This record gives sequence, C-alpha cells and structure tokens, in this order.
Amino acid sequence: MLKLYGRGVAENFVLDRSRLFTLTKNPHLPIGERADKAFIVEGSLAPEGYGAYLTFESVEEVVQQNQLELPEEMSYIDESDIARISPSGRISVIFRKKSPNNTFLLTERCNHYCLMCSQPPKDHDDSWLMEEAMEALELIPKDTVNIGYTGGEPTLYGDQFLELIAKTKQVLPNTAIDVLTNGRTFKDSSFAKRYAEIDHHDCLLGIPIYSDDPAQHDYVVQANGAFDETVQGILNLKRFNQKVEIRVVIHKQTIDRLVQTCEFIARNLIFVDHVALMGLEMMGFTRANLDKLWIDPYEYKNTLSKALEVLNSYGIKTSIYNHQLCVVNLDVKPNYVKSISDWKNEYVEECDSCIKKNECGGFFSSSKKYRYSDHIKAFR
Amino acid sequence: MSKFQPIEFYKNKSHSYELLPLRFEALDDENYVVTNMAGEYLTLPRDKLSKLVKHELTASDPDYVNLRARHFLVDDKTSIAKDLLAIKLRTKYSNLSEFTGLHIFVISLRCEHSCPYCQVSRASDDKVAFDMSKEVADKSLDLALKAPAQNIKIEFQGGEPLLNFPLIQYIVERAESLRGSKNIGYVIATNLALINDEVLQFCKKYKVQISTSLDGPKDLHNHNRPRKGSNSYEKAIEGMASAREYLGKYSVSALMTTTKASLGRVKEIIDEYVNREFGGIFLRPLSPYGFALKTKTYAAYDAQKWHEFYVEGLEYIIELNRQGKEFREFYTALILSKMLTSTEPGYVDLMSPAGIGIGAVVYNYDGKVFASDESRMLAEMGENKFEIGHVLKHSYEQIFLSDALLDPIEESFAYSVPMCNDCAFESYCGADPVFHYGIYKDYVGRKPDSEFCNRNMKIFKYLIKRMEEDPFVKKIFTEWAQPNA
Amino acid sequence: MELQVLFDKQIYSVEAIKKAAYRFIDKFSAVISEEGPSYSCALNFPDKSSDNQVTRIVDDFKKEVLDQDLRESIKKETEGVRNLILAHTFSKAGLIKDE
Repeated sequence: MLKLYGRGVAENFVLDRSRLFTLTKNPHLPIGERADKAFIVEGSLAPEGYGAYLTFESVEEVVQQNQLELPEEMSYIDESDIARISPSGRISVIFRKKSPNNTFLLTERCNHYCLMCSQPPKDHDDSWLMEEAMEALELIPKDTVNIGYTGGEPTLYGDQFLELIAKTKQVLPNTAIDVLTNGRTFKDSSFAKRYAEIDHHDCLLGIPIYSDDPAQHDYVVQANGAFDETVQGILNLKRFNQKVEIRVVIHKQTIDRLVQTCEFIARNLIFVDHVALMGLEMMGFTRANLDKLWIDPYEYKNTLSKALEVLNSYGIKTSIYNHQLCVVNLDVKPNYVKSISDWKNEYVEECDSCIKKNECGGFFSSSKKYRYSDHIKAFR
Repeated sequence: MSKFQPIEFYKNKSHSYELLPLRFEALDDENYVVTNMAGEYLTLPRDKLSKLVKHELTASDPDYVNLRARHFLVDDKTSIAKDLLAIKLRTKYSNLSEFTGLHIFVISLRCEHSCPYCQVSRASDDKVAFDMSKEVADKSLDLALKAPAQNIKIEFQGGEPLLNFPLIQYIVERAESLRGSKNIGYVIATNLALINDEVLQFCKKYKVQISTSLDGPKDLHNHNRPRKGSNSYEKAIEGMASAREYLGKYSVSALMTTTKASLGRVKEIIDEYVNREFGGIFLRPLSPYGFALKTKTYAAYDAQKWHEFYVEGLEYIIELNRQGKEFREFYTALILSKMLTSTEPGYVDLMSPAGIGIGAVVYNYDGKVFASDESRMLAEMGENKFEIGHVLKHSYEQIFLSDALLDPIEESFAYSVPMCNDCAFESYCGADPVFHYGIYKDYVGRKPDSEFCNRNMKIFKYLIKRMEEDPFVKKIFTEWAQPNA
Repeated sequence: MELQVLFDKQIYSVEAIKKAAYRFIDKFSAVISEEGPSYSCALNFPDKSSDNQVTRIVDDFKKEVLDQDLRESIKKETEGVRNLILAHTFSKAGLIKDE
C-alpha cells in the first residue's frame, strides 16, 4: 500500500498557506513556470526558483528555500504528480500520473451511514475539499484518461457539484469521470435535468443498490426511505440518458437476496450501463460491524455464480471486483476483473506459489491485515 | 457502534398493505400463478394467495418480501412499484406508435409447387391474371412508406415470388430511392427451387434475407410439398447452400409447416434443422385455414396431438442445449420475451391490441389490401371480412382507419373480453380476431371453446412449470427471451 | 345429464357464479336462477359424460366460483391504482411525482 501522505522535515520552509504543487523532476523549466512546481531532488542538482524542493534521506544536503525532506516510502512520487503541501510540512499526494484511478474526495459529509462504509461520514464543513478539487483541475495533465469523485455524498453540494462536472468537462475534455453517489439527489428531476444538460461525454455515476427488499437496503445504508429515492434517482437519470452503474457490495447483509436483487435489476433497471459486484473492504465501519457483515466469500461463491448468471442471461454488462480467484467459481472468470486500486492491493504467503497470481487482484491491504477468506489456496 | 440502528428500525411501521393489480390462474393442484400488471409472474400455494388478498399476510412471511419486491403490493415502506410498473408498461407498448412494421407484398400467385396445405397459389402460367402489376406495386410501396415506423420490413411472398423476380428488383430499387430516412429490411419468402446467381447477386447488393420452407427430413418435406420431379427437398437444400455461400450463413431462415404427417416426427424434424445448421426452429401450430377450415375437421384431437408434438420437441431442444448445442424454439422465445422482459416482440398472432394492420399488412397481387397474412388466407376461403381496402382505390387513411380494420381490433381487445379480462396470462397472449372469425364467425369467440386459448394457456403453464422446477431451463429460457438475441 | 348446484346468496355473488360458469362453457351449459336464499345453477352435461367426469368437473366448478370471488375482491381494491398506473403509462409528461 502506497503512503499517500506524510510529514516532511522542513528546512527553510516558508509557505504562506496550503498550496497545490505540480511535482517535477525537470531542472530546465522556464523560470516563469517554476514558482508553482515542487522539484523532486534526485542528485545534487536543485536549480533555483521552484516553489518547493522535495528530498529524501538518501539525498545529499542541498541548501534552498522551502526544502522538505520526505520519508523514503514516498519516493514513488514522480513527474506531473500533484501534491498539497501545508506550511507545517504536511504533504498529501492527491494525483499520481502513473495511477490508473486517481480519485478526489469531495466531502466526508453523507446522508447515509452504511454499515460497511470505508469512508466514515463526518458532519463538518469540508468544502475546502471541493475548492481544492476545482483548483486541481487546472493542474491535472490533459491526457489523463479518467478521474473519480467520491465522498461521503458528493451531490450534497447541489449545484456546486454540477459546476465541478461542468468545469471538468471544460478543462479536461478528454477525461472520463467516475462518480460514487447514492443517487438520491437525482430524485429531483430538475436536478437530474441540469446534470444532463452539462452533457458530459463520459461521466458514469456509480450508485449502490443492496437489496430488492427496501427494508434491507435501508438497513444497510442506515437511512429510511433511501431505496425508493435511489431508484427514483436512477429512473430520472435514465430518462435523461445519463450513464449509470449499479454497485452491490457483497456481505452477510446482502448475500441472502443477492440473486433476487439481480433479478430486480434485470426486470426494472435493465437499461443500466454496468453492474459491479464487489467484495468487502475491511476499512472504516466494516471492522466495527464485522459480526453483522463478515461471511467468507468461499461460502457464498455459488450464490455469486447464480446472481451473475441472472445478469449475464439478461445481457447486462457485469464485473466482479475485489475477490481472489481461489474463492470464486471458474464460471465467473469472464466477468472477473483484477481490480483493487493499485495503492491498496497485496498478496499473502499462500499466493507465492500460485500460478494464477498475476491474473488475480489479490487483497485489500486492510483485508490482509484484519480478515480474509479461510480458503485461500494457491492454484498449481 | 450504538450509532447503528437494527433492522427493525427500517421495517414497515404499519402492518397494512395495499394490493397492486394482480391476476391468477391455477397452475396445478397446489399452486397458482400470479401475475402483476407488467406480466411478471410468481407462483404461490392457493392458501397464501387467499391470505394475500384478504390482507392477512404479515411482513414476516418470506413471500411478503418477494411479493412486495415483484410489485404485487405496496406498503408504507415503499411505493416506487407504481412508477416501475408504469415504465415497464410504457416500454411494452412503446412500439405501438411505430405502427405497421411488416409489409408483405404478394408478388405473384403462380407457383411450381402444389402443396396441399397452401391456400393461395395457382399452378398457372397466366402472368396477367396472377402477377402483381407495376401499378399495384407502385401504390403498395407508396402506402408502405407512409407507415410511421422508422424501421420497416418488406417481405415478398407468393405463390413463388421468384417467378416474378423482375418485379422484386423493381420494387426494391424504387424503395431504396424513395425511402428517405427510413431503414428498410427486405426478405424473400421462397422455396429456393428457382434461385440462381442473378437472384443471389441482387440479394447481396441489397442485403436481402431469404426465408424458406423446410418441413423436415426429405421424405416428410417432399410428401408435404409436391412438385414436378418430386425434388422440393433437394432443391431447397441446394438453394440454401448457395444462398449461404453467397450471402452469409445467417442470411437464410427456415419455417416449417406442421401437418398431420409431421405429428409424431418432431425429433426428426428438429434433427434436420440442426443438421442444416439453423440456430433454431419455429414449431408452428396446425393451420386452421384451408382444407381444415372448410371441412371443420379442425378438431380437439388435433390440438391435443399438436400439444404433444410441441412438448416433445421443446424437451428435445432443451436436452440438446444441456449437451452443449445452442438451439432454440422460436415460438417459445416469443412468449418468453413477454414473460421475462418488458419488450414486445411484435408477433402478429400474440398481440393485444391485435397485430392485424398494427403489426403487419398484406398488399395482394390484385391490389387488395389485407390486415394480415391469415386474413389473406381467409379470403381465399371465401371470407373477406379482413380485406381493408384496395391500393388503387383507397388512400392510406381510408385503409388504416377503415372499420374493417378498427372494428376487429377494438372488439377483440383482450382486456375487454370475457375470460381474457381476468386471465393471468393476458400479457403473454394475443387477440386473434382472424382465427376466431374464421372458425367461430366471431372476432372473440368463446375462449373456453377456443383452440387458440387452450393451446396457448397450456403452453404458458408448461413453460412456467419448467422454469420453476429446473434452473437450467430458466437460464436458457432467459437467454432466449432477450430481444435481438 | 342435468345437475343442480346451490350457492348461498349471502356468501356468493351472482357475478362470481356467472363468470365461473362461463369458464366451463365447453363442459356444460348452465342456467342460473334464484331459489329462495340461494342461487341455483342447473348444469347440463353432454350425454357422453361419465359420472366420474361429471363429479370432477362440478368440483372444479365450485373451486372456480371461489376463485372468481377472490378476483372480485382484487378488482374492487385495485381498480383505482390500475387506472393511475395506466394514466402514467400513457401520459406524455414524466412519471415521477414531482413533475
């Protein structure tokens, strides 16, 4: 797991406020372009005029203004990455050019309180995150294939959320967007219409539905009335031809009706662009609710196959994420995705001798640490 | 941790619920089939059904959750069902406004076969008497292009349409020049005995599909379809091979006609289709038109035998699939679309409002316009109830708004007729005013007596039972049900 | 052969009986009349019907009357919401309530 944030040892560090910097290793930038860049020092070269200088313990001492010595685990940073650096020397890498899935957290506020939430909600004003995302858009390389927006619940920003999408379209016309949202704000059809009017060429809203039983869905997300509003939101979005993905996290509270839920999707929401069936992550609330949530994926693999069969026979594009190959049936392989964000995934000892290791997504770091299947077995 | 509420907090507060519109039929001695407004079904034991209707079902009953999720009831927890039902119905009906999609041109009545079950052909060389004229062709095409549908299909039938191939060329070329933004698909329904390179080249150029007859293995096919030389089968096989080679494997489809001689041989017929590399077969019901109608020998005996033929055929096909051979039965697939999806396949005989005029129309060689293919057959028997106009005498509005068309559609509308009005399977079925008029001299008939009703009800119940008892059958049936499958 | 079946007027509606009889029109003809506190169904079977067949058919008929009764309850309760849903189905405006 990559360490995305840390604290550097500051040397002559003078910064008036937290700022976003594009990182660079290029010592030959025109003088006029150096002030908003942070230079990654690799040798003894540290040309003048850069906004900040990032060094590592292994590097010889150089004397410059705004030098920050970072822990070795952060030496992955590279050209075109974007980081927020604060006057106290805290650094947070918010964009990595090499990453295939850069995601921006827009808020920790949420109107759900999911039992398995990996980003537990906090009810405070964190609109600076939205402002920062808007600012970062100017710095993100134009050839970026896609970025993600998550929360909390991003649409709680209302029109500001729409402005963000519109600005993303304008500033990054070749970049696709993935948004994670519960979709409820779109139950207001005028909001859905305004969203549609932005006419983004490739924005996918990933919306969870955890059961065809409204009581069960509302229980998982801990919000009464959530199911009806989420479905209404999806219907509105589709009325305006917007791209929607349905996400189902599989755990003890969603497994019993997983097949029926997929049948519900097939009969009522067949027009969705994609369905994601996802394994449980051990972060956030999951550990606190483990007794209610944990079921060994090996125990539910046949149900997973049946659920997938429903979606496949209706011709709905479906992917299975966040499972290890040894805990699912072979019949799901066509839909299996070697997922897990590149900064989160790992393998266990048993995997060392597995011949399918490079086809397998491995584990969340959190899963490896706290709980994973008892049936991990190398393929030979 | 104490911030999380238990599941009870999210269940419905009150124990009462409202029924959504639902209908039911007995499936067997214990179970009933219940269908919702969108035609989705559920099976329940009768006592459960009774409890449901009497509002005695409690939320803790496992069937309660299913019934709520499948839109048979709403309660204070959720009412999104009403919107979802409306959307699904809207989808089912959405093609109605497209109106007539299939335009059948009867190019000539002349034919070199003399199949006893054919009502419409003439073994004659008299082209003037039995060929469609250019004038009639022009007017027919003008009418076809007036249809609101964005995508239409023009099907050339006969007799044997290739006997008047020049007219086919003429019509296709004229259609291509006049079609504007419409997409037109062309089909020639031919026995393939007269196919040649010229025809094939033309078909390739305009992407014309071929629909042919294959009644079964050689002896059965030739027995059903006599021609000089007794080589209908050989000619058909040869023609199929040429057509496929020239136009591609999927350019040829085949239809069988079920006759008394076919009954009892369904496996052989299916094997023939499998061997000829077709992706499926349409097990057609016995036709009541023609000889059978005249002599009223269209009896219950035949209907029962046909049902056995169908079931044996379907089970054989399911077995083939189980062994890994992908093959489907198309009549079943049409019904399954209506059962398992919100699409309306647009098959004339299984539409309500009736598919006559709305789904298809026939421009006859002599200029007469008929509401459907069966309507034309009925006319050949002397009953021209469904003749709705003449291309040389009537405008588009006069034809498609004529009483001859609208009366049967309105009067046979299934929701408004006795028994269909209550029937759980109404959304899988159709109003077939032509069939009923032909046999019972009434657009509606009496459904308990109606062979159409009996045949279809038996099939609906059979399909539901098979899906409920066998997950493999449910899986392949779901695949068959998909549109554009 | 002819048979009579009586239905208590307090319990069964004549509509349910008529509809049930209609479904059996291929098996018997029925004449329905009132007889004191009951509805009387005079069922006329074709001559070739055996006793076993007739018993079975009459049993089915009685069950069908009960089913028709259930159907009446459903229709009564759901006619309104059915019309609402159909109105939504065919309206040009949106389906969702806040439209």
